[in-house]
Amino acid sequence: MEKASHLSVIVDLSPTQWHLSAQADNQYPLSIQTFLSQLLAFLNAHIASQHENTLAVFGALPGKSVMLYSSTEVLADDAAAPDANSYPPFKAVDSTVVQRMMYEFDAFKDVEEEAPCALVGALAKALCYINRITHPSTSPGGAAEDPSILPDPRILILSVSPDLSSSYIPIMNSIFSAQKLKVTIDVCKIYGPDTVFLQQAAHLTNGSYIYLERRDALLQYLIMSFLSPPAIRKVLAVPKQDKIDFRAACFCHKNIVDVGFVCSVCLSIFCQPVPVCSTCRTKFPIKTLQRLNASRPSLAPTSSRNTLPLANLNNATPRPTPPRNVNGGTPGLR
Amino acid sequence: MPPRQQDSIFMDVDSDSDVSILGDGDGDYSRTKGKGKGKATDKRKKDKGKAKAKDQAYTWEASYTRSWDTVQEDEAGSLQGAVEDWMARGRRRRLLAPAAAIRRTIIRHLILLLDLSASMMDRDMRPTRFDLSLQYAREFITEWFDQNPLGQIGVVGMRAGIGERIGEMSGNPQDVLKSIADRHKLEPTGEPSLQNAIEMARSSMSHLPTHSSREILVIFGSLTTCDPGNIHDTLDACVKNKIRISVVALAAEMKICRELCDKTGGQFGVAMNEGHFKDILFESVPPPAQRAVSRAAGPGTANPAADLMMMGFPTRLPDTSPPSLCVCHSEMKSEGFLCPRCMAKVCDVPTDCDICGLMIVSSPHLARSYHHLFPVKPYQAVSSLEDMPDPATGCHACARIFPTTPSTAAATEGMSPLGRYRCTDCHNDFCTDCDVFVHDVIHCCPGCGK
Repeated sequence: MEKASHLSVIVDLSPTQWHLSAQADNQYPLSIQTFLSQLLAFLNAHIASQHENTLAVFGALPGKSVMLYSSTEVLADDAAAPDANSYPPFKAVDSTVVQRMMYEFDAFKDVEEEAPCALVGALAKALCYINRITHPSTSPGGAAEDPSILPDPRILILSVSPDLSSSYIPIMNSIFSAQKLKVTIDVCKIYGPDTVFLQQAAHLTNGSYIYLERRDALLQYLIMSFLSPPAIRKVLAVPKQDKIDFRAACFCHKNIVDVGFVCSVCLSIFCQPVPVCSTCRTKFPIKTLQRLNASRPSLAPTSSRNTLPLANLNNATPRPTPPRNVNGGTPGLR
Repeated sequence: MPPRQQDSIFMDVDSDSDVSILGDGDGDYSRTKGKGKGKATDKRKKDKGKAKAKDQAYTWEASYTRSWDTVQEDEAGSLQGAVEDWMARGRRRRLLAPAAAIRRTIIRHLILLLDLSASMMDRDMRPTRFDLSLQYAREFITEWFDQNPLGQIGVVGMRAGIGERIGEMSGNPQDVLKSIADRHKLEPTGEPSLQNAIEMARSSMSHLPTHSSREILVIFGSLTTCDPGNIHDTLDACVKNKIRISVVALAAEMKICRELCDKTGGQFGVAMNEGHFKDILFESVPPPAQRAVSRAAGPGTANPAADLMMMGFPTRLPDTSPPSLCVCHSEMKSEGFLCPRCMAKVCDVPTDCDICGLMIVSSPHLARSYHHLFPVKPYQAVSSLEDMPDPATGCHACARIFPTTPSTAAATEGMSPLGRYRCTDCHNDFCTDCDVFVHDVIHCCPGCGK
């Protein structure tokens, strides 16, 4: 391993979800304190693997996203007292991350309804940061990087919240830009239902998506699946999700469709031919509607299609599928 | 011959230049600096006469442009100023583009017309015009399919007075690239014939549905065309079939090329150097704006360009599934996609199912075109910090520290002397790199998350 590796961690810090996760009536409750201690151990492990490894930590809070730590910046309020009992780089990471998190938590206002978690903003920031360190422009004060040791960047998303339908388009755009920058996106789903958007993100960027069965063994999952850089993954295989649902949901009823009717102007998907597109209000010619109604395949009862058509060949025990209507209206895909 | 006022037409050729054509040297220098990008020397013998048209009648009477003066080093010896100026031009170009979402045709069919005549073996572009065109065509095809996954490209060549069909219209980028990969089959000879090639392209697109856009992109390197009939008849037929013709000329402007583009609504450009050639070629990558439909038939009539298409969404078979034959190549494979209507296995999407003819796409392909429909608003350049009580010290996206003193480089329009650019929705500041990155690659503002 000569090449350095860069890791950007995005931590989902939605208060309601963490509160629910820590409830004792869960099968394996995980409170945010336990989670943080295991996360810091993982971050230290990444820094310890190689001296040139770089790290950045972003927090996704309701309504905004912040950068909690970055190995290239020296944050002003970093004055950690030198402690003889701890290794200084580890202490720097630990104290900075915890201090910034405490600061953000204290800044919470008491609002009626919690704003949705800004995961997509944090993802965009992580991509901008990776773009900055992998393509350094001639900026004043920027150190010239040796182009032969460019870091192999990856992003790890630790998510507890369900899918947000309004973030479908920004997440897809971020996935395509990650493909262009050759960034691998890994997802660890700690609590909450399966997020299909993040499954797609992991699949399209050759990352791994893990849904935690045993939440108390979080550190073991992190080190086994997410510590190895992409170059090593050819040798040390990480568990991946093979069965990705690429089918789309229709805009009108939010059903999953196999064969849909797509408006050519705005690309909205319908489960049956409609005379007027509901999104862009374009009228469609009558001849097309007649032709499509005649040629529409008589589908088998759709209930049989909604269950998983292929056995999940990787996992031995099938995971209980969460109720499918938890997610709100999602344009294009659940 | 009387002095022709051709210079004014000639200067309109470079459609992507934003600098006003002034009669002094400064406008000239800064323009070539914007185009140069490394290849700043103009290899043409005759002067393009950009700056001096108002003073002299003939372009050769003007003094030649000293393009090496355009790239200025600052006192530390770095070219940062030149690079930033180039990025400022890019920003200005984007600001001129409409900020609101305009209707674009997402389903596109493009025929790439390559000039394979003897004039393409000219060495004014290294190594030859032909080699460079092939290389840029490959890059163009890759980028085009990246931005337009629901489109199809066909390739036609103009050689020895006839049009040759080099590649069938296909939605698979590998097939298109394979058709132009064999350089020896495409060896240029003879004279080009614009009419024959355009007729061949037009007839192969005549059966396509109206809601898709039909385009022809011509890379033309010669100054003549040998046509069997009246090319204006072909032009009228193209206008009637709603085909948009764009031309990238490598030699000089020809009136017939200019007319082809103007009458059909395409873009015309003459390449000055290699970098400029690539720029003009890549201008055709984003989907074109839909032309306004005349409302003569009264309100309530359907827009002829809009249509409802039936598409299938496949199931992906993982590597561990049992191997079976695919219908496109008859190869034994494990992985593939299942057509939802006839359950046939195809290798790659998007494609048309070979058995039942259904268009198969996966939802990320549809999502890739959404950013054209919902673009990010351009950021405002911050010129001063007076009306801000508490400015952020670093860029909101990448945490790069902003310079505290305004830079001494001349503040051209659209550039912020402090290096700050503000989003109008979330009022966060971003640095130059992030501004370019957000608007060109991510299409999503990190502050608002839209």
